[in-house]
Amino acid sequence: MEAKLRDSIVEVRELTKCFGDFTAVDRVSFSVGRGEIFGFLGANGAGKTTTIRMLCGLLAPSGGEGAVAGYDINREYGKIKGRIGYMSQKFSLYNDLTVKENIQFYGGIYGLSPRETEERSAELFGIIGLEDLKDKLTASLPMGWKQRLALCASLIHDPAIIFLDEPTSGVDPLSRRNFWKLIYRLSDMGKTVFVTTHYMDEAEYCHRLSIMKNGRILEMSRPHDLKVKYAVESMQEVFLASLKEQS
Amino acid sequence: MGRIKALVQKEFRQIRRTKAYFGLIFIAPFVQLIVMGSAITNEVKDIPLVIVDQDRTPSSREIINRFDAVPLFDFRGIADSPVRAERLINRGEVKAALVIPRGFEGEMIRGLMPEVQVLIDGVDGNSAGVSLGYITSMAALIQKGWASGMAGAGGMEIIPRYFYNPGLESKLNFVPGLLGILLFMMTTMLTAINIVREKELGTLEQLMATPPGGVQLIIGKIIPFTVLGLVQFSMGLIAARVVFGIPVAGRLSLLYLMTLLFIMSTLGLGIFISTVTSTQQQAMFVAWFSMIFALLLSGFFVPVRNMPPPVQILTLLNPLRYFMSVLREIYLKGTPLRYLLPEAAAMGGMGLVLITAATLRFHRRLE
Amino acid sequence: MKKSLGAVFRKELIHILRDKQSLFMVLSMPLLMLLLYGYAINLDMRGIEIVVSDRSLSPESRELIRHLEATEFFHVTVAPGGVSDVGDLFRSRKAQCVLEIPPEEGPLLLAIDASDPNSASFIQNYVTRVVSLSAGARAGLFTLEPRIFYNPDMRSAPFFVPGLIALILLLICALLTSIAIVREKETGSMEQLLVSPVKPHQIILGKVLPYTFLGFFDGLVILGAGRLLFRVPVEGSLLLVMAMMLIYVVTGLSLGMLVSTMAGTQAVAMLVTVSLTVLPSMLMSGFIFPVFSMPPVFQLVSRIIPATYFLEIIRGILLKGNSLADLLRPAGTLLGLDALLILLSIRAFRIRLE
Repeated sequence: MEAKLRDSIVEVRELTKCFGDFTAVDRVSFSVGRGEIFGFLGANGAGKTTTIRMLCGLLAPSGGEGAVAGYDINREYGKIKGRIGYMSQKFSLYNDLTVKENIQFYGGIYGLSPRETEERSAELFGIIGLEDLKDKLTASLPMGWKQRLALCASLIHDPAIIFLDEPTSGVDPLSRRNFWKLIYRLSDMGKTVFVTTHYMDEAEYCHRLSIMKNGRILEMSRPHDLKVKYAVESMQEVFLASLKEQS
Repeated sequence: MGRIKALVQKEFRQIRRTKAYFGLIFIAPFVQLIVMGSAITNEVKDIPLVIVDQDRTPSSREIINRFDAVPLFDFRGIADSPVRAERLINRGEVKAALVIPRGFEGEMIRGLMPEVQVLIDGVDGNSAGVSLGYITSMAALIQKGWASGMAGAGGMEIIPRYFYNPGLESKLNFVPGLLGILLFMMTTMLTAINIVREKELGTLEQLMATPPGGVQLIIGKIIPFTVLGLVQFSMGLIAARVVFGIPVAGRLSLLYLMTLLFIMSTLGLGIFISTVTSTQQQAMFVAWFSMIFALLLSGFFVPVRNMPPPVQILTLLNPLRYFMSVLREIYLKGTPLRYLLPEAAAMGGMGLVLITAATLRFHRRLE
Repeated sequence: MKKSLGAVFRKELIHILRDKQSLFMVLSMPLLMLLLYGYAINLDMRGIEIVVSDRSLSPESRELIRHLEATEFFHVTVAPGGVSDVGDLFRSRKAQCVLEIPPEEGPLLLAIDASDPNSASFIQNYVTRVVSLSAGARAGLFTLEPRIFYNPDMRSAPFFVPGLIALILLLICALLTSIAIVREKETGSMEQLLVSPVKPHQIILGKVLPYTFLGFFDGLVILGAGRLLFRVPVEGSLLLVMAMMLIYVVTGLSLGMLVSTMAGTQAVAMLVTVSLTVLPSMLMSGFIFPVFSMPPVFQLVSRIIPATYFLEIIRGILLKGNSLADLLRPAGTLLGLDALLILLSIRAFRIRLE
């Protein structure tokens, strides 16, 4: 763990984002190590998505500093984009393209040659299991498969870190389980996975977890340590207890 | 380069998959061009006309015969009384009526200058004026015929010569104009809606988390829609040649160069609209709004020269205004580039400004 | 059941009121259009660039030039030495016509740039008139006494303002309706509505009614502003105008409905509606170009455009003071079109539901 921390891929200090009077993210600091599955747990509106968007270079921070994949989030946000994968909350690939066409598109966008895209997608389809569906129109896929496709698209350029913003919302329990198996495989392959969720069971799967509320990080530790700290059995209870303690 | 290629390819795939687009982008403008190009004319002709003959003499009959013989009028026959003629005008069945009074011939012979009443439906002020003009010239012609033999007052004769459109055919003016209008409509609306749609669906956010910058994303939109625009324009050119028999008098390469500049300005407008709106409905409204104004202030209906000076200044902001005159100049007069430089500069400049403004607004970060 | 209709109506009204940008446009657009059409569309020619190549240099030719200069119609440039290349003058757009006065007695030569044939024939008429005026008018055998009905000054505004109402009512009603329904389909909220106890016709009615008011309101605004700013007369019954507007609004709405039941996405619905309404209503209906001058086959095309009938009706009532009895034919046709469109869209809607 120590070694991993020193070798961190995400490092932020005092990160803040205000929208007018409203402070969505309030002086947040943390770091994420390589190969780690780092979870953000919190209710809707806690600031998870805003934080992720700042890390991906989609939003300019109002204050604080940090680096993702070795690039400064304030100045080099353009460069960050080539090194990360991002999967937004809402399914946002093209419904009117086929599975393969979507992948080809993202391959091209990330600057892969058609052959590289071909090889890479064959590999990913194997892992993710989209091989049989590749000529289907994306609109016709069930939600669980669409999520896998989105994951596949965000991995096409072999990023070191991948940001998943509530990847399993609206997906049935079985598909969720399968999706998390994939996340573990990615971690085993050395990828850092930064994931937000509001499912407590999913929180348990993370190597490390931070609980957010009103733009602040209340807790940040390993799930097991948190349960010990609050002397409870489940993440559900950890979550509620931490919120209570706060207020 | 590879990135732009991926963007362009994706766009074409999406367009191909939306079956309705094929009809909307290619068939609909084609049909509109053919129907409207054939139908509309600002020549006023076939004016429905009745004559009330209260005189019933050879002279009054000659007037009737003369009006019956000219194609400018659609002679609907003799009306019994002025009241009857007025009723016909009121119901919109005829637009003009002549009333030849009792004793017309007799008074004329005695040199008393009888009055022939002309009743005109003035609702359409323009057509009314033109109709009155026609009737006046017809009357002058008839009088000239009757007066010949009498001591003719020597008048100056004018021999008119019409350049570029000797038959004064409206379609030579309107068909090239319609090409411009259809191109404007399609390119502006399609781009505006297309980008806002990506915003609404969230695919744009996904794109913004990837390496291509705003410039590349915008180029990726410009290329496919420029190609569509050029294809649509070419189909229009062929239709103009085959269906209407209107050849391009000037250089085709110049025409395409100008079209390209024009498309830059309309795409710029479309993209700009997409950056200031957030839903497809809004984008469509703004696009529609700009379209109607562009149409009105383009010189298609009324020459820009006729407009009041402040409105004329307003037309300088309208890319369609420049393209409209470019089309007519190149199509009919074969005007060379050197006389069209101001238009080329205006369209190109507008495109550049709009696209730059859109690119700046199209930040690589969300707001 | 009345309640559920009300709920859909309220929801749609909230949509409209909340989208300030669209609302602003729907309300300000007609006024702006009115102002522009009222002021910009001026069919009177003026400022025509004429080059006179005077090779006679006689008192008569100078008299003629003075007469040309005296009109607002021409902007005269005299080229004493003659014009070497008329074509170049036209291509550089420095002149629209060139009048050549020959050195000796003989006909005048008038070269006209006829790329705009309408202007060309105006120019020819006008030059002829000025020339005969300058030569001294001759006494004729009889005179004409014109009586212009309804619009004695032959102004453009009384012609265009009613036309604008026809245009805007149709566009707003058809466009808004076509998008409103497809939007629900695209976002999936239509499904939600369909499983509720609301009947399909109530959904449609509830969605469409707010737009009816909006369109109707726009129509009245144009009418009022036209009356105040451009002195557009209202000869007939205002009540009749409104009744007819209502019939016509239904035409727009049912057209929009038909499109939206068939289109899959908002983009397609909008493009279809725009193709069906904008150009046909502007160019083929008699809005600007008279229908009677079109070739007979295309007059038939204009007969399937709703705006053609409404234009006849509203100009008839406002300018001529027509009563319902005078307008039975166009009003009946419009009602028939309404019925047909509604029938078609209900059929299309049913088919989609199955």
